[in-house]
Amino acid sequence: MSQVNRLSQGGRIDRSHTVKFTFNGKSYEGYVGDTLASALLANGIDVVNRSFKYSRPRGIVAAGAEEPNAVVQLGASEAAQVPNVRATQQGLYEGLTARSTNGWPNVQRDLMGMVGKLSGTFMPPGFYYKTFMAPASLWMTYEKYIRKSAGLGRSPTEPDPDSYDHINQHCDVLIVGAGPAGLSAALTAARSGARVILCDEQEEMGGSLLDSRELIDDAPAVQWVDRVLNELGGMQTVTLLPRTTANGYHDHNFVTLHERRTEHLADSAPTVGSRRQVRSRLHRVRAKQVVLATGAHERPLVYANNDVPGNLIAGAVSAYIRRYGVVPGRKLVLSATNDHAYRAALDWHEAGREVVAIVDARDNPRGDLVDKAQSLGIRIITQSAVIEAKGADRVSGARVARIDAKLFKVAGKVEELACDTIASSGGYSPVIHLASHTGSRPTWRDDILGFVPGEVKGLTPAGGAHGVYPLNDVIRDGADVGTRVARAVGIDTAADASALPQVAARQDGQACALYQVPHEKQTMRAPKQFVDLQNDVTAAGIELATREGFESIEHVKRYTAMGFGTDQGKLGNINGMAIAARCLKRSIPEVGTTVFRPNYTPVTFGAIVGRHCRELFDPERYTALHQWHVEHGAEFEDVGQWKRPWYFPRTVNGKKESMHEAVARECLAVRERVGILDASTLGKIDIQGPDAREFLGRVYTNKWAKLAPGRVRYGLMCKDDGMLMDDGTTSCLGENHFLMTTTTGGAAGVLEWLELWHQTEWPDLQVYFNSVTDHWATMTVTGPDARKLLAEVTDIDLDKEQFKFMDWREGTVAGVPARVFRISFTGELAFEINVQANYAMHVWKTLFDHGEKYDLTPYGTETMHVLRAEKGLIIVGQDTDGSVTPEDLGMQWAIGYDKPFSWIGKRALSRSDTRRTDRKQFVGLKPKDPKVVLEEGAQIVFDPKQSIPMVMVGHVTSSYYSPSLGHGFALAVVRGGHERMGETVYLPMVDGTVHEAEIVSPVFVDPKGERQHV
Amino acid sequence: MSDVREFNTRPSGSPGAESPLAWSFQRQGTPPREARPGVTLREKAFLGHLILRGGAIVLDEAVRETLGLALPARPNALVQDAAGERSIQWLAPDEWLVIVPGGEEFTLESQLRQVLGQAHCSIVNVSGGQTVLTLRGENARDVLMKSTPYDVHPQAFPVGKGVSTVFAKASVVLRRPAEDTWELVIRRSFADYCYRWLLDAAAEYGVIVER
Repeated sequence: MSQVNRLSQGGRIDRSHTVKFTFNGKSYEGYVGDTLASALLANGIDVVNRSFKYSRPRGIVAAGAEEPNAVVQLGASEAAQVPNVRATQQGLYEGLTARSTNGWPNVQRDLMGMVGKLSGTFMPPGFYYKTFMAPASLWMTYEKYIRKSAGLGRSPTEPDPDSYDHINQHCDVLIVGAGPAGLSAALTAARSGARVILCDEQEEMGGSLLDSRELIDDAPAVQWVDRVLNELGGMQTVTLLPRTTANGYHDHNFVTLHERRTEHLADSAPTVGSRRQVRSRLHRVRAKQVVLATGAHERPLVYANNDVPGNLIAGAVSAYIRRYGVVPGRKLVLSATNDHAYRAALDWHEAGREVVAIVDARDNPRGDLVDKAQSLGIRIITQSAVIEAKGADRVSGARVARIDAKLFKVAGKVEELACDTIASSGGYSPVIHLASHTGSRPTWRDDILGFVPGEVKGLTPAGGAHGVYPLNDVIRDGADVGTRVARAVGIDTAADASALPQVAARQDGQACALYQVPHEKQTMRAPKQFVDLQNDVTAAGIELATREGFESIEHVKRYTAMGFGTDQGKLGNINGMAIAARCLKRSIPEVGTTVFRPNYTPVTFGAIVGRHCRELFDPERYTALHQWHVEHGAEFEDVGQWKRPWYFPRTVNGKKESMHEAVARECLAVRERVGILDASTLGKIDIQGPDAREFLGRVYTNKWAKLAPGRVRYGLMCKDDGMLMDDGTTSCLGENHFLMTTTTGGAAGVLEWLELWHQTEWPDLQVYFNSVTDHWATMTVTGPDARKLLAEVTDIDLDKEQFKFMDWREGTVAGVPARVFRISFTGELAFEINVQANYAMHVWKTLFDHGEKYDLTPYGTETMHVLRAEKGLIIVGQDTDGSVTPEDLGMQWAIGYDKPFSWIGKRALSRSDTRRTDRKQFVGLKPKDPKVVLEEGAQIVFDPKQSIPMVMVGHVTSSYYSPSLGHGFALAVVRGGHERMGETVYLPMVDGTVHEAEIVSPVFVDPKGERQHV
Repeated sequence: MSDVREFNTRPSGSPGAESPLAWSFQRQGTPPREARPGVTLREKAFLGHLILRGGAIVLDEAVRETLGLALPARPNALVQDAAGERSIQWLAPDEWLVIVPGGEEFTLESQLRQVLGQAHCSIVNVSGGQTVLTLRGENARDVLMKSTPYDVHPQAFPVGKGVSTVFAKASVVLRRPAEDTWELVIRRSFADYCYRWLLDAAAEYGVIVER
């Protein structure tokens, strides 16, 4: 029984291309041009899912984004799994594999059905809160099973092989929706010369025209669609984006579009030649004007058992027949409140199947389509509605009765009509989701029985999106809006009525208001009348919620879950509000709407992440010497975005050194011979101008007035709160010329800080700052043999009297112009060689050519940390945390309180709090046990025997094993530490042990500083 | 301005130089040749890059005299000599980027300082810190759209425009020196990231790297 419901002709499918696909493990056939939904209906599949809460069988209801039931898990392989795909929006391709999302272990018989029965058939709103929340500790257990059996889809457990990306778009006009209004607006705007983007979520553009029975220019409407698309496609200023959903409307007309580029072709993006295609793409559109041409969603009527498979919305019936050549049943009953819905019966009849009756809620329907139905001899039952569907896995009949909508009661005898399909239409709701994303509240209009978008700057609705429904009006409205938005972006253009296509005006009668259909029994006792099929919200549930005191529609939503999750209330929200309004005896506008939120339909994480993943997740910044480090086996450490060598493990006797071994060897090499560090990542800022020196004096705590050209000075920089923010050396290159260095991580922040103060506070100072971090490569040669090594490759006089500690000189190193700075972060004799980065590798390699006889040892950041800590030299951000003043660090020598200008932070350092003597102060810690290396971050107490919670008086900021000293040592901040030298402190650890340490000077090696002066 | 220390960082001999992309070319290699690549990349390495900061009027006189080019006064404007070898680009109200053939930058800096005399300005050589990458091909603009939020439509980004902007998660100077050519001025330390990003983003169009 293949494709039992497929018509032999008609529709926009390609019958010459058969496609095989699998649903819930069974194979079926469809055609190219089908959606998964149309192919399932063609094959007579009634049950596509189990419902979320009650586990009832569910079938396909709609033909577009509003489909609540046919939500599937897609993907043949584990890596290709995609959850929560609407079958109505998924193009069919060869090999497509889909499963029902709900209903574990399977859709026919499942666990939740049992739960439903055990707990009775009555699961009120708040069921999960009431039933499963206690005891709270077990919720985690319940949740796992509830999600598995009733939850939504699952994510893949294997890496996704596809690539995704983002693209930035700019345009004058973004038009969302390529139905009659969108096409008409696009054409008018594009013809005026505006840059236009037209996007549409469906497999092909055309919207309602794809299943319309109306004529444009005396020809089928799709011919006009083709003509318009042809013209738009030929324009340089127009971008057409089919299969692209506008998901989110953000502030300032920033709209995100989700384009599915290859989802209709295969599980994974195909390769064209050797070129792998991008699977989906997120367009980040910045539009001057947005046109909302999203049309309207049909509202189903809310009657008893309206969720049994075989209940569809009327428009979907027409769409399946006219677009896909599929009649989803044999005998139809249509329950309607308006003329437009009659299309379903006419299309059904023309497809050669039986229309049992049209049940119209109006007294005296009149209009062209009503006349047509009458002339075909179709039975029309007026002032009535389907009050209940019969059947279990498929509709078997419709109970029809005369109703009184105003009194909300059944007013006549019930007649049961045998049928297998019930189509219903309670009117149309403009698709206003995007406008609501901005926070704008929609407005109710009684004349169209629907909400229209509220005012949003830069957004104009067109056509059905604001309740304009007759086709000729829609096309004219689209053209008017196209002209208006073109003028809004500054294009001088006028409406041209003669350019509009000819559409015969159709006479439609007035629709009537009907949402929930009354039943003979009260709502609470009647069979379930579903409002939100995806979240299993019933009319009784809403009634109960209002009875339990939830009066705000936002509270009703949260209590019942109406319009939650991926559904976002497309089919059910207005009906739900109408029911709440009835129960609360208010009008619909008084009840108001809930807020629709992005995303309109689910977006894959791939599209959200784009290209920002794996090795492109974050920039990796490399120095000019990176290749050498890689080739010499360096382990790397992330410092900001930089990759810095951490240590260089050697392989000794076939065994690779541990980090501890490598660092010990590197430390000793520097203390005893000579080591070399790539220090290129330090921030460097070139400062020029007659007021450069004055400026330095204002941003540093110490004095700069007398620093002579050729000299270097260490400086501390505070924020205005007096807390240390950065440190580094600054060299005087010329009277008006300085080179500032910053910490690696602080470089960009310091430059911004300097610019901020210059531009906002001291614009009168003549000074400019420029980053030269990347221009210079810096290599630190340090250790007792540093001078001997450098002398072999430089023309600079390295004599200790000529080139003193804290001097800088220029000359060449290895034939390359270089500035060499005698500054030391290790406490040893040290030269920092700066050369233009393009020549750094040559200089570095030349140093190694000459360095062999001195055992020149490359070292990384870990050794650098140990060596500087042995000297008590701080690292900003490790030994400080934004709450440490220069005085806390014991650096009074670097503070110029008597400088003439009040430098940044000076005032804060005179506050009573910063003057306290019991502030946490920077000290050294020597563990009593020489084998102990304290934990960084460990808390310090004075009395280990006090009761918990103990009074914590400080913490360890840096801690290492010192190969030179042969014991562990640490830097720390301790309350009043400067006055507590020699005292013992205690460090209680998580495992119960308590370490003892003595407070000592933070300078552990060479306290007099003789080694760096040699 | 003798109070500023001039320093020629380019060696007179010819020790091996490595451009910011040397390691990327070595590690990543270049993509295989394609008959009809949608995007073609090429590095213009070892050029002279100077950042000029100061008042527009004095700098304009100085660059006219030394370089024979007018200082672009309009924001985001780019001027070049006839051969396209020397260019000046507006970066900020008091900041311009000058790019000249490699080796000319120090002479130009000295000449500029002489002409400028005691006028307050700054001239900074950043030749080692950045490199130029050109993008050509029918999909060059698509790749840029994937990478930068700036509007690169020909209507919004005509020839002779240049901007500082975001590029993926880095920042670049983006300019359009000719109808079919885009240039990215990228910082040395971000060069590898930008290169890998470009190859990845251009893969669907076919990409080659000219060396």
